[in-house]
Amino acid sequence: MKNSTLVFRSLGIIIFLAGLAHLFSFGVEISDDNPVPTQETNSAPVEESEAATPSETPTATSANDPETDFLIDKWQVSYKTEDYNGAIIYDIKKEDKTFNAYLHQYVDQMGYAVNAEGDKVLTVTKFNGRKGKGIYTITYEGKQYEVACKIARVNENTFNLSYDYYGYADVETWKRH
Amino acid sequence: MIEFLAKKLEWLDVNYWFYIFNDLSLFYIIIPFFILELIRYAYLKRLSKDLVLDSIANILTFGGFFLIEIILGILAITKVYYWVYNNISLPHLELNWATIICCVLLADFAYYWEHRTMHRIGIGWATHTVHHSSPHFNMSVAYRFGPLDAIMPIVFSLPIVMLGFDPILVLLSEVFVQVFQTLLHTEIIGKLTKPIEFIFNTPSHHRVHHGSNRQYWDKNYAGILIIWDRMLGTFEPEKEKVVYGISQPINSVNPIVVFFHGISRFVKKLGEIKGFSNKLLAFVKPPDWMPKQ
Ligand SMILES: [Zn+2]
Ligand SMILES: [Zn+2]
Repeated sequence: MKNSTLVFRSLGIIIFLAGLAHLFSFGVEISDDNPVPTQETNSAPVEESEAATPSETPTATSANDPETDFLIDKWQVSYKTEDYNGAIIYDIKKEDKTFNAYLHQYVDQMGYAVNAEGDKVLTVTKFNGRKGKGIYTITYEGKQYEVACKIARVNENTFNLSYDYYGYADVETWKRH
Repeated sequence: MIEFLAKKLEWLDVNYWFYIFNDLSLFYIIIPFFILELIRYAYLKRLSKDLVLDSIANILTFGGFFLIEIILGILAITKVYYWVYNNISLPHLELNWATIICCVLLADFAYYWEHRTMHRIGIGWATHTVHHSSPHFNMSVAYRFGPLDAIMPIVFSLPIVMLGFDPILVLLSEVFVQVFQTLLHTEIIGKLTKPIEFIFNTPSHHRVHHGSNRQYWDKNYAGILIIWDRMLGTFEPEKEKVVYGISQPINSVNPIVVFFHGISRFVKKLGEIKGFSNKLLAFVKPPDWMPKQ
């Protein structure tokens, strides 16, 4: 058999098997978590005064998982909206196998930081180290809403948090602080 | 079906299943089967002193191989594999039935090429010839390994890690292939049904691989699936009665001689070859290669 035939057939086999594994690892899940915003979270807006407790019981991320524990740290997100122009530092903690993000500091354009009151703004309900979902509290025109969000790891020090709430969509870049 | 294949699995469970097949099979298949083979040898009046000593030598070479494997394992698996996995790998795959099956099949395919390389390059054959040097064919022969047999699999399994498979899963899959292979070393089982003989590597196919009959040389490299041999032109069915062993028999059951005969023959050959570059070429050229003088 010609060497070129051996190479092509072997590459074909490897690409087929590796492709199949990636398809079942990433592709299948994508179809499963296509957002249906109403089912997973409170569909009604929550007034500011109400406590932001997520309605969904968080599914377990295993204790001490090196794949996901990189989340535990302080994270900075820059905003430039009518509501807020500056950055917010969040503090992600692992509590009872679940990752929760708390408001830590507001940093204005000049770099002055003000401590925040530590409200919980994000509960990660599912995360495999690469992709996940959660419940995120957003403030829009002075009101708070709990929305379903998705998170996706970019690298060790960055992940994206995206949400789409009845057409009000955004992607936030969370960078390790 | 797709749901089932893509469902995320726990490491604890996966480890457990592999443990049942990879580790415990020694007790519930391999040892009972070997005892059965010994009884058969006795019944056929073939149970000779040579056979017993050969079997003992086989187990001892495994001890030597295993020691080297453990040292390499600590160095290579923990360091190299994880470095590759964390730095030059595709996105890390989840643990589910589909990824496990694909990983086992890729490990099997890697085994095919690793095995083929062991036969077709000088340094590979210097160590793998040990496995082929027994004139007998029973389950203990499966444990007959050469001193460098642990190195080649590392080279061939790193690409699997690069494809995004967890190093531990790759390692477990490789052992799985090896254990499946072990079960083929027997004369008790004849040919199985046509579909099985077509898809899977079987005792019949692997007897051919151990044959010293000329038409059986360098054939049937497979681990689990014989289709790799069919696709890549190295398949040979068992027709003529197989004569086990290598073209130049070692005629020894001394475990030291058995374990090192390939290396010592290779070193002797290097001494006969003139010129440094020719000596280097002998490592990667086929085992029967000699420079034109
Ligand atoms: Zn072989
Ligand atoms: Zn064999």
